[in-house]
Amino acid sequence: MVQNKLTSIWKKIWDTMGVWLICILLFVVMSVSTNKFFDAGNLINIIRQIATIGVVALGATFVVMSGEIDLSQGGFVCLCGCLCAHMIMKMGINMYLAILITILLSALTMALVGVVVSLLHVPSFIATLGMQYVLAGLVLLLTNSQPISGLPTAFTNIARGYVLGETIPVAGLILFVAILIGAFVIKYTTFGRSIVIVGENRQAANLSGISVPLIKIAAFAVAGGCSALGGIILAARLGSGQPSSGSDVSLMALAAVYVGGASKGSVFNTLAGTLIIGMINNGLNLIGVSPAWKNIILGLIIIVAVVLDIFRSRKSNT
Amino acid sequence: MENKSNIFLELKGVSKEFPGVKALKDVSFSINKGEVHALIGGNGAGKSTLMKILSGAYTKNSGQIIVEGVETEIGHPSAAEALGITIIYQELNLVQSLSIAENIFIGRHPKTKSGTVDWRTMNREAARLLKEFRIDLAPQTTVKSISIAQQQMVEIIKAVSKNAKLVIMDEPTSSLTTKEIDVLFQMIRTLKTKGVAVVFISHRLDEIFEISDRITIMRDGTYVATRDIDKITRSELISLMIGREMSQQFPERVSATGSELMRAENISDGVLLDNISFTLHEGEVLGFAGLVGAGRTELMHTIFGSRKKRSGSLYLHGKEVSIRSPKQSIRNGIGFVTEDRKREGLALNLSLRENVCMVAIQKVLTYGLISRKKETESSGEYIDTLGIVTPSAEQKAMFLSGGNQQKVVLSKWLMSNADIIIMDEPTRGIDVGAKREIYEVINQLVAQKKGIIVVSSEFDEVMGICDRIIVMCEGHITGILSKKDFSQEKIAALAVGEGV
Repeated sequence: MVQNKLTSIWKKIWDTMGVWLICILLFVVMSVSTNKFFDAGNLINIIRQIATIGVVALGATFVVMSGEIDLSQGGFVCLCGCLCAHMIMKMGINMYLAILITILLSALTMALVGVVVSLLHVPSFIATLGMQYVLAGLVLLLTNSQPISGLPTAFTNIARGYVLGETIPVAGLILFVAILIGAFVIKYTTFGRSIVIVGENRQAANLSGISVPLIKIAAFAVAGGCSALGGIILAARLGSGQPSSGSDVSLMALAAVYVGGASKGSVFNTLAGTLIIGMINNGLNLIGVSPAWKNIILGLIIIVAVVLDIFRSRKSNT
Repeated sequence: MENKSNIFLELKGVSKEFPGVKALKDVSFSINKGEVHALIGGNGAGKSTLMKILSGAYTKNSGQIIVEGVETEIGHPSAAEALGITIIYQELNLVQSLSIAENIFIGRHPKTKSGTVDWRTMNREAARLLKEFRIDLAPQTTVKSISIAQQQMVEIIKAVSKNAKLVIMDEPTSSLTTKEIDVLFQMIRTLKTKGVAVVFISHRLDEIFEISDRITIMRDGTYVATRDIDKITRSELISLMIGREMSQQFPERVSATGSELMRAENISDGVLLDNISFTLHEGEVLGFAGLVGAGRTELMHTIFGSRKKRSGSLYLHGKEVSIRSPKQSIRNGIGFVTEDRKREGLALNLSLRENVCMVAIQKVLTYGLISRKKETESSGEYIDTLGIVTPSAEQKAMFLSGGNQQKVVLSKWLMSNADIIIMDEPTRGIDVGAKREIYEVINQLVAQKKGIIVVSSEFDEVMGICDRIIVMCEGHITGILSKKDFSQEKIAALAVGEGV
């Protein structure tokens, strides 16, 4: 009986916290296996790298929870970074205003994609894949394939700066606050609850008075806003709007969401997924794995994560 | 010894546990070759769990399953199939776009010498099977163009063609018309003559007494009794099922209807519904009777705004309202307990608490934010008042039994304080005891001057609980009966469009 109770408690912990345990385990393994990993400089570097992925993954979590998928986030990350840089450097717009406009424009554009998906019934997979190409074209038009460099320190500090002396990187703080807000929205607002219900059973949601199209459009808009924020952090880290940046962000963000266990639908688990992906990425860099192999490994991780996710939700169904 | 060889399948002390729930406790009984064995039991009696164990969808935690004298483990659906055990679920498993013959021989098409599909042999074999069961359909017909009843028959034929020795039917008659049920029973009798055992799960006593040889009663996950059908009476059966004497199937209620609550005028959808007009009063239970396909469910969806309306108008409290979505309906005080609770009513992966608060989420907000405390209180209130059996409000809806799931759906609408609640087949697939509880809730609601619309295919149910009955046939209203005119014969005649 006691044995039984222990296993059920363990099961509960594993179900809700499993990803965090993997995350901690990975951290310990990496720290022990290479002396370059557990180093203040490297850890801060990881945080800067994952800030973009994490913020983008947060947006992806909203979309995945509502039962759709967004493949255009990488495109938005790139375009928004360049657009923001363009507004600051070429148009002389105030930096904060430029950031705000970028985020709003991106959210609005994704809302339109949401309209196409939920009202015109185009599968989100196709709509966002198409959008990805549109965005790639827009980036070339905007930048002429040239990086927009020379961004002011105030801007680059978004990714490179610290708060409280030399301890907390700004990018990490932005990610942390964004995750907290996201988790709060899902757990405590009617919008968040509606997303969860729509994702679980859209017919029941509709018959319970939830406007399914509106909720999906809003979820896409959140993803758009998050992608823009991710793009801005990336541009700040690179010190310029790079027309070739962001290509792997979509994949990494989705990997983070699925490693976190999308079917359980938790924003905090997405953060754990992001940390895992960030550490693996960093570890592969440290041991000098070539970019080709890195892509192969990340691609496989996303597939395995989805397989495990399906396996887990199937197990809880029987 | 003689007797032993006649047994196809024997269960000894079979148990199954889910997290927090003991679904089956020490169940033992046997099924003979070539018999129709009815299985009956209330909510959470464990029938579905047991059948899923036999078909390999679940694995038992303990006990023995003995098939034709040999102890076996059924770890996978393919293992069940190899033993000759087939289950026919309420949701049929046919490929809609393929033909009857292709469905029967799916995965094992006869082949020609060169390895391609031998269409001629396949269609000939399918035609022979259809003829054997006296079903007048061409084997080339696509499955999506035949009725649900006919699809069920194709499933049965498919099972037989795979040499099934035991066919389990999970509420096979729930969506069939009387005539279709006759055809099904004819098929079951043919199966018997071939020595195939049939396990027949149903809540309809008439059918059980008509078709079965023996009956096994289960209650709360335990085995209660097995009897020969000619050695048990209805009241004995019911009291074995619910574990106490049943006083009366339908609770008493003094009918007291007030002023007009809702009036529908000339509602048409351009497809099926044609000029439907009716009124619903305060404190009234209005029944909608008819056969499957009469358009009752479609009418309710049209009124509720979840289906497009071509023309017609709706008045609430004498004022015309325009309702184009469920959201507007809910705002106007209409609730809708839909026919299919799993597909349309519940988010099965979410907790009972989240399901109960799905509609009236506004009521559990504090400063505009969801309060877990208020949610738990509200759902706890309905767990108590409706007697929902669950370990806690955090239990996932999928782990609740059918009757308890239905009570959760009902709670959603009770919490929304709707004035008008439409209930589409509110007692389908739930046991006598839980049915009575649902009727009692309906009585409480009308006592509070609410108006209730009940759509039901069971004539005795609408007669037992309604003040008036509207009968529909093929998208038309064929009659409106007031209480003094209620009779099974009248409803049945109107339902087939006669006696208008």
